[in-house]
Formats: sequence, C-alpha cells, structure tokens
Amino acid sequence: MDTPENGTPTPEAPAAGPYVYDLAASPQRQVVLPKTAPLPSLKAYRAEVAAAQAADEAKWQKMLADFETAKAKAAEEGKPEPKAPVRPVPRKDDNDVKTPFPTEAADPDLHRLVELLADKVEEVFEQAGELVCQVRKECVLETLLLCRDDEQLKYDLLADETATHFPAARDFAFSVVYQLTSISRRKKLRIRILIPEGFEPDSAFPAYPTANWLEREIYDMLGIRFRQHPDMTRILCPEGWEGWPLRKEYPVVGLGQRDIDFREDRSGVLMRMAMEKAGQMGINLKVPKAD
Amino acid sequence: MFVFLEFLVFKTEEMEINLGPQHPSTHGVLRVKLRLDGETVVQCTPIIGYLHRGVEKICENKTWFQGQVWTDRMDYVAAVTNNLGWAEGVEKLFGIQVPRRAHYVRTLLAELNRIASHQLWLATHALDIGAMTVFLYCFRDREAILDIFEAFCGARLTTTAFRIGGLREDVPPGMDRMVRNFLKAFSTGIEEYETLLSENRIWKKRTVGVAKLQAKDAVALGITGPVLRAAGVPYDVRKAFPSAAYAEMDFQIATRPEADTYARYLVRLEEMRQSARIVQQCLDGLPEGPVMAKIPKILKSEVCEVYHSIEAPKGELGYYFVGEKGGANPYRMHVRAPSFVNLQALPKMTEGNLLADVIAAIGTLDVVLGEIDR
Repeated sequence: MDTPENGTPTPEAPAAGPYVYDLAASPQRQVVLPKTAPLPSLKAYRAEVAAAQAADEAKWQKMLADFETAKAKAAEEGKPEPKAPVRPVPRKDDNDVKTPFPTEAADPDLHRLVELLADKVEEVFEQAGELVCQVRKECVLETLLLCRDDEQLKYDLLADETATHFPAARDFAFSVVYQLTSISRRKKLRIRILIPEGFEPDSAFPAYPTANWLEREIYDMLGIRFRQHPDMTRILCPEGWEGWPLRKEYPVVGLGQRDIDFREDRSGVLMRMAMEKAGQMGINLKVPKAD
Repeated sequence: MFVFLEFLVFKTEEMEINLGPQHPSTHGVLRVKLRLDGETVVQCTPIIGYLHRGVEKICENKTWFQGQVWTDRMDYVAAVTNNLGWAEGVEKLFGIQVPRRAHYVRTLLAELNRIASHQLWLATHALDIGAMTVFLYCFRDREAILDIFEAFCGARLTTTAFRIGGLREDVPPGMDRMVRNFLKAFSTGIEEYETLLSENRIWKKRTVGVAKLQAKDAVALGITGPVLRAAGVPYDVRKAFPSAAYAEMDFQIATRPEADTYARYLVRLEEMRQSARIVQQCLDGLPEGPVMAKIPKILKSEVCEVYHSIEAPKGELGYYFVGEKGGANPYRMHVRAPSFVNLQALPKMTEGNLLADVIAAIGTLDVVLGEIDR
C-alpha cells in the first residue's frame, strides 16, 4: 500500500473487473416490495365490493348512453337500428374453489369480547370459519388475560403467535396475531393487533408462558421488541446477525452469503481462475481425455 | 478423623457444560447448556438455530404448489403429515372442496406416517436409554411403511405426497395388499416392543417418575401431542378440530394421568395401535370417485389469512398463511412447529433432576431439529 504525503494510508480500492461479484447487483438480491397491504378486514372488503359495484354500474350506464347516441346517429343517417346492449354477467367458472370472504361476526365469543372490551375492540369478523378480533395495540395483554380467565371464553392454550410485515400500509407496519385455542370448549380464536414501526407491544408472557420463545422468534425475524419479555434475544439467527430476515425489504439470499456466484460466470473467467489456482497448488482439476 | 469431617462439609462448585450440538443423543443439532451441581442440573438452557434455513422466507417466494416441497424438509421423519398440513391450509385459504376419496387416502398415509414416526422415536429413545434391541425391531417394521410411501409417490422420506386439491394420482394397484401385510406384521411387532420394554426393570427405572410435566404447566407452556396427553389432558386436534376423514373414523384418544416419561411411552404405543385401527378403517371404507378437485392451473389468492392446524406425531402442527389479492405465492407463511414449542418445556422437566435424565427428557419430548429451526 502506498502512503501519500500526509502519512495516512489510503484504503485499498476494491478490485474492479469481472472477477468480483457485485453483491448489490445480484439478481437474487433484488427485492420487489409489495404494493398492497393485504390485511383481511370486513370494512375493507365491504368498501372494495361497493367500489366494484359502483364501477360495474358506471360501465353499464356508459354502455346505455353509447347505445342511445348510436341509435340517434343511425336514425339520422337512416341506417337500421343497432343491437341493444346486454348487461354482462360475471363469468361462471366450474372450479371447486369457493373463496372465503370476511363475514359479519356471528359467534357468541366475539359478541362476548365486544361486550367486555367495548371500545377497545377495533374490528370483529369471521373468515374461512375462523374468528378474528382486532383490538387496540395498547390493550393486547388485557385482552389475552380476559380470554384466558373469563368463564365464558376459557381460551387456555396459546397455539401460535406470529407477525407479518406490511411495508405498503400507511398507518401501521406490522400485524401481530395470537392464535388461541380452548381445549375444553373446542374453539379457536385469533387476536390481532396492528403496530407501527418502533412500537413495543406488551409481552404475552404473563398470560401464556409459551409466548417466550414465540416472541423471541418474532423479534429475531421481524425486529419487533416486546415490553417486559424475560429474555428478548435472537433465537434462530446468531447473536450478531444483521437485519431482520422476514421483513419484506430483506433479500432471499442472506447478507454475507455466496460472494462468488459461479452461475453468473458466463465467460468462464472465474472457473479458469479457479483452475489456475488449483494448478499452482498442484491439483489437477482437468478431466483426463481418453486416447 | 479431622480429615473425614472436612469431607463432610465440603463446598460444591457449579460447573457449566454443553450437551451437543454434536452429541448423538440430542437427535440432530440441539445444544443444551447445562449448569451442574455435581450430577444435579441447576439450570438448563436449550440453544437452537443450528439448522435454520429460512423456510418461511423461501416459501414466501415460491408458488402455492412449490412451497409444499419445503414442508418435507421440516419434520423429515413425518413428511406426510407436514404435507397434509400445507395442503389443507392452502385449501382452506382458497376454499377448495377436496373429494372424499382423496381425504381417505390422505388420512391413511398420514396415520402410517404417525406409526413410522413413533417407531423412530421409540427406537432412538430406547437406544439413548440403553436398550439396543428395540432399535432393530422398530427399524425392521418401519421399513414396510417406507416401502408403501415409495409405492405411492416414489420417495421414502421427502414425499410431497399430496397436491393442493387432492392427490396427483390414485393409489397404485397392489398398495392395498402392502398395507394389509404391514398391519398384520405390525400387530405382532408392537407386542414385541412391549415384551421388551413395558415390564423391563431397567426401562422402568429409567422412565417411571422421570422428567415429569404436570398438566397445568404443560397447558401454560403450550405443549401439545403425546406429552400433553400423558399429563391427562385429552386434547387431540384430530378429535377437537377434525380435518381430512378423521370425523368419520372411530378411534380413542390415548391419555395417562402420570405425566412422566413412562406414561408418554405408553401413550405413544397406544397411539400407534389407534393409528393402525384408523388405517384399517380407511382401507375398508375407501370410497370410489375422483381424487382431485377441479382447480385452476395457477392459483391466485384473495386477501385472506388462515391458521390451519393438524395433529402431527409430535403435536399440533399449524400453518399460518396470508394471501394477497392476485398473489401466486403466500404473502406470509408461518409454521407453528410442535417441536419448537415443546422444547420450551425442557428446563421445567430437567432442572433439579439428574444429568442422566436430561437424555431421557430430550428423547421423550420427541424433537426434530429440522422442524425447530426451520
């Protein structure tokens, strides 16, 4: 390394050329962020259906108006009357697919929750036979304790807890869901909260000790910290890992992996260098040819 | 005399040792950090993540059909039940109605896989504790099940047995006879395991009263599967939330009140018997008809989230999917792995007990590291 006049060594410039694989430009490292925030919700579904119906109606009205003008034009020119438009019916498909859409909450458990929590509940609905209750993010622990201890609810098992990243959403960044099971009543319930970036929800550990590892996994994968959790450390990734792998901006190929990608080596330069290196070390990598 | 008295008041010093991640009795790459006082475990900390491959992240970038391949690699000794959970979860998200015959074949294969998984558990658990013969007996019988899988889908371990909407093909000719032969051999095989172990004095010494986990703690820690049932809680997803053809099957939930390692052994043996009963019923009542529902070539989801759970050999296996509008792959996929949650009970089961019982506790939890680390 050559030292300039002032005596401080300049950092060595990274070797340019085709041999060094450009990590940032790797096709596997390109991330396409989602454009929508697919959060199932009865309100959003209703708004979507209403908008679709309005668009449908507007299209039909336009077709009718077009027909009227065409008719008037034809009468003016003395031509035969054009064909009247037919309202298009949605195409029927004969697949065995019946998409489950959100429906009004009909289950007594959800009514009970609304009754007990009143304005702390943001939304209740059912979808695909599952009960969903979305509560305000500050009162999740209160809700869980209620679900566990209330005589009419008795959800004694926390089956699962996980979170989802929604980078396209405006007023929240993550949803955290708690899957509760009542062993004695044979029922399942999903509690959901929406949290912005940086918000620390209460840990479910006091209500369900099983949340210990589940919340550590959420922290490890998505970087959501839980308040008053007994041990908020990474669980699956090593301690010094950078980034939150299950966030949408994280590439599928992990950071620090596969610095040389031989699949990108179209001209065979890297392979030739490897052969030369092997030759210097006295290893013959070439396949011997038959006489 | 003075020297002798000094021995009586000697001070103990705590020692920290690592069990694993290369220890053969930790069934893979489980590392357990133990703080010992002599031979007594003072603190036990399981450390996981050595087999983490990021299955959830990978599946978010695969289509609904491709993701199933990854489920084989999670609980690799019970791949068929993993496939069942994936297929049924996706079907729930899309609202796909599966033909009845496909449900029966799925149930049959899943129950065979439960027997195979429990046999592997018994083999390795007994080997850890010191009984060598059971290992050979179990592997001999398990071979027949793997042959059946091979006849059905061409693979023995990484099966990818089902398709979304049903099965890829109907059962091959001759599989019926293979299953019946297996059931006949199994009925004598399971008695052999029992004669080797159930009244064996060494086995009972190593298992009775060891690694206890009471029902209250088990429910609080979210433990499911045979470990919970051996604590007297009759919770089985097949009965509580029946899927596939389980609602039409006649079987009992095996429970024991003792909550120790021996009770879990008895529960799993009984479960194997019940699984054989279900397999027999599936064979006898196999309905005619198609095995695949009519579904589009490319599945495009609507905005929906589902959590579907089934009873895997290790406990409740849950799949959580989030679909976006027009999405050809899951927006979010999460696996509730039974081993992951069950392993949390290890400190509770071992602290205050002897070091040798840690091996028994790991064995009795029946953990598979591929599923824990995902």
